[in-house]
Amino acid sequence: MASTYPTNGANTQKNGVPPGKPMSLGTQMLDKGAQMLQSLKPIKQMSQHVCTFAIYAQDMSRQIETHHFVTRINQDFLQCAVYDSDDSSGRLIGVEYIVSDRIFNTLPSHEQKLWHSHAYEIQSGLLVQPRVPEAVAKPELENLANTYGKFWCTWQTDRGDKLPIGAPSLMMSPQEDLRCMVKPELVKKRDDKYNISTAAIKGSRSDIMGPGKLNEMADYWRGHNKCLAVEVERTEMKKLTVFP
Amino acid sequence: MSSTSERNGAGAGKNGIPAGKPVSTGQQILDKGAQMLQSFKPINQMSQHACTFALYSQDMSRQIETHHFITRLNQDFLQAAVYDSDDSDARLIGIEYIVSDATFEKLPPDEQKLWHSHAYEIKSGLWIHPRMPEMIVTPELKNLAKTYGKFWCTWQTDRGDKLPLGPPSLMMSPQAEGEGVVNHELVTKRDEKYKMSKEDLVKSRIEIPEPEWINPMADYWRQHKKCFGVDVESTKMKIETDYSIYS
Repeated sequence: MASTYPTNGANTQKNGVPPGKPMSLGTQMLDKGAQMLQSLKPIKQMSQHVCTFAIYAQDMSRQIETHHFVTRINQDFLQCAVYDSDDSSGRLIGVEYIVSDRIFNTLPSHEQKLWHSHAYEIQSGLLVQPRVPEAVAKPELENLANTYGKFWCTWQTDRGDKLPIGAPSLMMSPQEDLRCMVKPELVKKRDDKYNISTAAIKGSRSDIMGPGKLNEMADYWRGHNKCLAVEVERTEMKKLTVFP
Repeated sequence: MSSTSERNGAGAGKNGIPAGKPVSTGQQILDKGAQMLQSFKPINQMSQHACTFALYSQDMSRQIETHHFITRLNQDFLQAAVYDSDDSDARLIGIEYIVSDATFEKLPPDEQKLWHSHAYEIKSGLWIHPRMPEMIVTPELKNLAKTYGKFWCTWQTDRGDKLPLGPPSLMMSPQAEGEGVVNHELVTKRDEKYKMSKEDLVKSRIEIPEPEWINPMADYWRQHKKCFGVDVESTKMKIETDYSIYS
């Protein structure tokens, strides 16, 4: 089964919102009631909004602006719900996990292949924390510059999908490499929205150091000149599982 | 590359939390400061917490309790960030999308195979909205009973993974018979935590209509006795794309 087959044009809607009727009054009331009565503890732990760019591992020319809502589990591990915008209509397009280089180096190499480094996207100003002054963001940015991420995109809105179609895609991070330069018009659009300049931010981050040496299994495409594509295959059902 | 058979003890920590130093005070202050300045609009739209069960497509004896934090984008579409608990240290283990039957019918059959129906898990009392009175949620349950879901699990915590390893897994929903039946102990554990009884809900949910028809492409394993495994393959480097093929 193809992992990224194209969508047909069915169910097109304005503004990219998934096809569907507007919410009924009953639904709106339920939502409000639930918000009051239910405890949403995991969600309240989301402490940062990060805006950056990501690249499809199976096709490096497809690049997207992403909005990560980040929960820090401990000093070495973060988990992010990733959206395609920071509006209230933002679509949930994936999950990213972030680990410190210390933790990353304990992973087996076949796992490391699925991860990407963060130093370049931070040093270049591509990754920003909207509305947080650089001086306040700096310690966290220095921390993040030494991390590696694993990002599964489950909704390919960049190719016009109105619904989440197909297999998940593995995502890679921007690097200083001609094969994957983030398109200037994408960056400009983001910068105009937040009234910032990625180029100026890059200047102010010249003292942010990444890891001394990047793990060569991360950013797999760079060293191995291969893309990574996710395939979903029909297989025999497993009848029994035994946990050791 | 093996897709779902690895287990790794790297970074073992207590309570299932991945190894790592606790968050420093300085870090906590920064996090609070940033939180005050930033806008979390997509997150503020998460309006419901639902607790249910899911089964791994590639091995339906592996079953998990899930906690969905749900945003409704419109009357026909919901998106959920899925966690392994409702505590503040819950791990984000995947994403589920939920569509109305009308929307589902418009998907190509190849896509429909990846989705599952919800009628059984709602009628059977497996799907609950913790702390919400049944009377208030009944209209939503009537709605949800006719929907289909697509759930990718990105962290296999049930097999002891301290870190999210491997490719995503496709998840299936509980069903009434065969491999779809949820292990009784899992359900009892959940019911005790929320001081409720699934059996009581079965009775009170009799009035929720069964869908007239469930699309046979959903819950693919039932009719086709096959499941779906996810793998990551190395392919030729692609750096140019022709977007016109998608229009």
